Amino acid sequence: MSASPQPLVEVRGVTFGYDREAVLQNVDLRIGPRDFLAVIGPNGGGKTTLLRVMLGLEQPWRGTVRWNLPTGHGRIGYVPQFSTFDRNFPLQLRDAVLMGRLGRQGLFARYGAADRRAVMQVLERLRLDHMANSPIADLSGGQLQRALIGRALAGDPDILFLDEPTSSVDAETRGVLADLLNELNQRIPIIVVTHDITGFATQVKQIACVNRKLFYHGSGQLSHAQLEEAYGCPVELVAHGVPHRVLSEHNHDG
Amino acid sequence: MNDLSVLLSYEFAQNALLAGLLASVLSGVVGTFVVIKRLVFIAGGISHAAFAGLGVCYYLGIHPLIGAVVVAVLAALLLGWLGRGDSGRHQDAFIGILWAAGMAVGIVFIHMTPGYAPNLMAYLFGDILTVSRANVWLLAGLVALTLLIMGLFYRSFVAVAFDETFAQVQGVPVNLINQMLLVLVALAVILLIQVVGIVLLIALFTLPPVIALMMAARSFALVLLSAVIMGMIMTTGGLAGSYWLDIPSGPAIVLFGIGLGMLVRGLIWLRGRIRGAADTTGAVRSGAAPAIDRTGRRI
Repeated sequence: MSASPQPLVEVRGVTFGYDREAVLQNVDLRIGPRDFLAVIGPNGGGKTTLLRVMLGLEQPWRGTVRWNLPTGHGRIGYVPQFSTFDRNFPLQLRDAVLMGRLGRQGLFARYGAADRRAVMQVLERLRLDHMANSPIADLSGGQLQRALIGRALAGDPDILFLDEPTSSVDAETRGVLADLLNELNQRIPIIVVTHDITGFATQVKQIACVNRKLFYHGSGQLSHAQLEEAYGCPVELVAHGVPHRVLSEHNHDG
Repeated sequence: MNDLSVLLSYEFAQNALLAGLLASVLSGVVGTFVVIKRLVFIAGGISHAAFAGLGVCYYLGIHPLIGAVVVAVLAALLLGWLGRGDSGRHQDAFIGILWAAGMAVGIVFIHMTPGYAPNLMAYLFGDILTVSRANVWLLAGLVALTLLIMGLFYRSFVAVAFDETFAQVQGVPVNLINQMLLVLVALAVILLIQVVGIVLLIALFTLPPVIALMMAARSFALVLLSAVIMGMIMTTGGLAGSYWLDIPSGPAIVLFGIGLGMLVRGLIWLRGRIRGAADTTGAVRSGAAPAIDRTGRRI
């Protein structure tokens, strides 16, 4: 377990839901400085909701989310699922990525030369520099996915959240993403919400399995019994692609 | 031409032209956000709610626009507040209620006002030719205020319009920005009431931005600028049409704008055809067989 003295994010006893039904119940979670946490669980089990509560997009009914970032609340890298914006929005790629710099200055600020330099660096790193002046409508699915990652990284974040990042990636994106996440994880913690853990098999250090409750959280071995409890039944499917490093022996201390 | 210079020497004609140009700045800038954020019917609700303020002030003998400003801003804040949280899914119903309630209150108060109320038709359908010089200054002030607020928070306005969730994670006060936008919509509504009236102002909020969005896909600032220019062409052209054809100015502006939109769409379509044809001939030259078939059939 990542029992570092000062977790960057600490979720304590969080209960939250939409309407009257709780989607998350009494969830505890700690994210340490070098964690690579995969949040898994069945569809509708509350993975994305947990992410939204952590990011402050939803206020929990009960419980608390505490942040201890070294540079305040502005440096959060967030890669949303594909569908959160209109792809036909009149915007060049570099201007879209520039929005990753929003959190760094105050409300009245303007983008400066340093912001533009940082954006071009990120675009080069993601092999998107040749598209910098293209409207976002012209990007392919994989390119757009990389653009969203670029936007999250442009602000030089202290922590990175990715919501289903492998849902529509091409081979180039997958390669770039794997290298990039490895490199980033040397410095900052990464949280990946995913239904397909195989894409991150070699990188994941911790797993949190969410289905209304947090069924498992830790870096040891996740037992079949625990997965079965969380998922209901399709254990084989899930266990299939996960490497034995993570999912080998029976172990009941979560 | 001589005819035109004579016309423009009249103060009412100058006022009308200035009011139209000022309205174009607002409808272009604010309207682009209205179209992109899908607030068109909120804008309609605000404008019709404002009629209540007009009616009450008319009854009390105060300048009707003061009442319209107050009610429009309050309606904007109310709709913004109702759009959040659990009541958000019924926001369109609240818009409808506010829409009708505003008209009902306005009509009742005008009915209770002794004497005939000739100006009210101007508020419903717009009469740009009755705009006074004092009103032009008021409009100029409103435009300056709107541009100042837009300019100060421009980065946040665009970020919230593009991706609200991401902007919120970056610490942008999304609710505040959204409320400010609705207040700007309310202020723009007041301006546009004088130009095209309550019923038709939705056209100035939608036509210029929609035309601008057809033309520019690359930059948001370019879309804003194009929308302002399209609005200026629309109001000026509409005014000219209203003068020469002797039809009311409000409908003339709206119909001219629709004609302008169809013209731009047609030109874009034509450009696509010409480019497509050029591509096809290129393909023929490089020896692609199926392209010959297609051009052959076209000819």
